[in-house]
Amino acid sequence: MKMKKFINDPANLTDELLDGLVLANKEIIYRGDQNMIINKDPENADRVTIVTQGGSGYEPAISGFVGEGMVDISVVGDIFAAPGPQACVDAIKLADKGKGVLYIVLNHAGDMLTGKLTMKQINKQGIHCIKVVTQEDVSNAPRENADDRRGLVGCIPTYKIAGAAAAEGKSLEEVAAIAQRFADNMATLAVAVRGATHPSTGATLADLGEDDMEIGMGQHGEGGGGRQPMKTADETAEIMVNALVKDIGIQSGEKVMLIINGSGATTLMEQLIVYRKAVDVLKQQGIEVVANYVGEMLTVQEQAGFQMFMARMDDELLRLWNAPCNTPYLKK
Amino acid sequence: MVVDKKVFANMLVQAAEYMQAKTEYLSEMDSCFGDGDHGITIGKIAALIQEKVSQWEEAQDIKSFLDDLGMAIMEVRGGSAGPLYGTLIGGLGVDLNDGENTLEAEGGKRMFTGCLSEMEDITTAKVGDKTMMDAPIPAVEAAQKTEGSVKDILEAAARAAENGAKDSEKYVSKFGRARRYKEQTIGTPDAGAVSTSIFIRGLSDGMK
Repeated sequence: MKMKKFINDPANLTDELLDGLVLANKEIIYRGDQNMIINKDPENADRVTIVTQGGSGYEPAISGFVGEGMVDISVVGDIFAAPGPQACVDAIKLADKGKGVLYIVLNHAGDMLTGKLTMKQINKQGIHCIKVVTQEDVSNAPRENADDRRGLVGCIPTYKIAGAAAAEGKSLEEVAAIAQRFADNMATLAVAVRGATHPSTGATLADLGEDDMEIGMGQHGEGGGGRQPMKTADETAEIMVNALVKDIGIQSGEKVMLIINGSGATTLMEQLIVYRKAVDVLKQQGIEVVANYVGEMLTVQEQAGFQMFMARMDDELLRLWNAPCNTPYLKK
Repeated sequence: MVVDKKVFANMLVQAAEYMQAKTEYLSEMDSCFGDGDHGITIGKIAALIQEKVSQWEEAQDIKSFLDDLGMAIMEVRGGSAGPLYGTLIGGLGVDLNDGENTLEAEGGKRMFTGCLSEMEDITTAKVGDKTMMDAPIPAVEAAQKTEGSVKDILEAAARAAENGAKDSEKYVSKFGRARRYKEQTIGTPDAGAVSTSIFIRGLSDGMK
């Protein structure tokens, strides 16, 4: 199948996109060996540092959030593929400034495998490092089986919370505990109306009928949720908000973070319309939105749809979310 | 007959040649429910095995060579096959001793137990889950049960791996991208189990 994408040789996609990212943000990040994107800031950092890993093709995730107050090094794999453990081991060693490293991994089979192999090496070498896994997709497993839950957009606010905690000079144990607390109280639901094209192979990643949508789409259209006829923005928002509130167990009087993350081909107009209704539904239940983001954080090429993310907030998490940061795609 | 460095090098090269010969077949099998790139990845792994064996230095023992080879294979791009194969092959050396360059029957058995324990550290897949583990688990069991020479042990492992890979066609996929196809996966063997059985068959046939 012929792809209508502005690309060159598919073999060079990751390389070229990382070059572009660094050129566009050269005051914030630079490129290291083995597809590492490195924060310029921590050369002399005297604090815990943050390392993450993941495939490419999800821009701006993950490397668009490397910079002051968020991620120190991202290790990038090929399109939709995890990097190998050696690169992650090297990144963690490079990032370690003597205060230890928080290593954030999204729950996808390849990433988890690399994460386990990396930690094995890291422990063998006696490096102080704690791994936190983000796994918040409510559609493919109940909360009790968190190991089966995929990691979706929730990794991005987790980077922010952890990065800010590290910047405050907290110990690795404290930073990890805060990141884990945030991750334990978050949930995401994805909806898709049209699948994406794999930019290297041209393969279609999900097959949805002309008039269908699927709630619980996962990251790449793995499915697992409910395929149903297309609904309005308000109807869709209401279904999703209620599912997330129920999953996290948020009660009236509580405060939340709410993110609408466009998957790539859904307009900001649509995202804002959904956001507006989501806030309204929450308000009716006595739940206040104290932190938010509307826009693209983690995409899947031209997949149409969005991920709705919610997290229970407290004063400390809110302070960390609002703390300064300077990354290519999130600045505060 | 014993396995020394030279024999071990031949075993690895034979395994790599068998893998190279089956790359298209493996990709075709993988394209039923996976990305269809398993053969390409196996081809890259085989090429790396050949390259590393050709550079195996006189002073390096079997254990340390396998550790280096395993780490290098983990970096092969193309999904999880690199890390899994890297662990499998690096694992062959884990229970060997430093400086141990001659393996007899007991050493051959140790090679397989180390390999399995390393794999079990990183995956919970069991026989019947339709993953590559359908080959090495029965291979290790067969190796432990076999009385005889190291050659007999390798042969028993290779046969058990082949039977295990064949049996994987009866199972429903429980891991990876194929999982969502559920019962449709019955009838197609797991490409990873098949490639692993080819690797172990190569080790056995290469012992000459």
